Amino acid sequence: MKLERLIGIVLRGGVIVSSACLAAGLLLSILIGDGGVAGILLNAGIIVLLATPLARVVVSTVQYVSDRDWRFATLTFVVLLELIASAVAALVFNRKI
Amino acid sequence: MPPVTASLALIIFAAGVIAGSLGALLGLGGGVFLVPFLNLVLSFPFSAAAAISLTTVIATSSTVSAGRAGKQLINMKLGMLLEVATAAGSFLGGVTAQFVSQSLLQRLFGIVAVIVAVIMLSRLRRRNVILDPAADPGVLGGRYHEAESGCTVTYRVKRLPLAIAASFVAGNVSSLLGIGGGIIKVPVLNAWCGVPLRAAAATSAFMIGVTATAGATIYYGHGQLQPALAAAACLGVQVGSWGGMKFGAAASSKWLKILMAAVLIIVSAMMFLRGGR
Repeated sequence: MKLERLIGIVLRGGVIVSSACLAAGLLLSILIGDGGVAGILLNAGIIVLLATPLARVVVSTVQYVSDRDWRFATLTFVVLLELIASAVAALVFNRKI
Repeated sequence: MPPVTASLALIIFAAGVIAGSLGALLGLGGGVFLVPFLNLVLSFPFSAAAAISLTTVIATSSTVSAGRAGKQLINMKLGMLLEVATAAGSFLGGVTAQFVSQSLLQRLFGIVAVIVAVIMLSRLRRRNVILDPAADPGVLGGRYHEAESGCTVTYRVKRLPLAIAASFVAGNVSSLLGIGGGIIKVPVLNAWCGVPLRAAAATSAFMIGVTATAGATIYYGHGQLQPALAAAACLGVQVGSWGGMKFGAAASSKWLKILMAAVLIIVSAMMFLRGGR
């Protein structure tokens, strides 16, 4: 099944990129201290980690739309909206509004 | 939060390895062990412990599901339907966690730890399998090939509203307490909704990535997630769950389950003692 394989690729890619960023960032922050490149790598690793399930939902929505499976296109789109809502909530808490 | 030092990173990495391998051996996420270690032993604020644990839940979900995708063990349609409920629960839990006290969360964790221990000891192993491979699994049911018995397992999903309700509760508990929530979904899907145990576990592991993301994003935005410590924990859990899956088949899990249930009951008591102060 095409979608399953596509999801497998997205998840594996996300894990490899985020683990590499986190490992490099952690080593750098221990060797030369937090901040600078280490901080960027660590935050990039966390963001890729958080974005991986999101990317998997986006890929599913696109695939269901192109298959004209409207029921599952709607369901995955609602999940996408829920993830966007939590990102919005994160931004609200970040500014301490 | 303590400053990030090499020794602290190493301790958290080691805790991740242990939590990840126990999780793989017992078939649950490592969060239920990692959160109390960070909160009770290292004295991290509960929200910081939950945030770190949620990132390890995401890493485990992505790794395990990437390996399983394409083998039909994950019921993607059922997973995507239940994700609507679990992500909503997780979003609400993540927001609620910002407003409730640490002692309330500790007491809640104490209750959930006891429930997890009881489920672990009395795990139902009903399989609800339609052995006729020509049977119609319906829109949400599934069909997969089971390697050891050599036969094709077909199942229909029953009591969908119950599965949806359990997913909502699991998502809520997940982001409040920093655990994956599979321990709530898997027994419900297996015992009451007709999903065979292995498909239920694979589908739950697939879903918890989305569940934990909804919660972890909120903690991260609020500055409760320390990236370096999350990195140490995630890398540790990855190594641990890889090791647990590789060497776990040989070990008898019965005594391990009894031991870990005892650990969880002690954890629960400690959470109540701390939370009661």
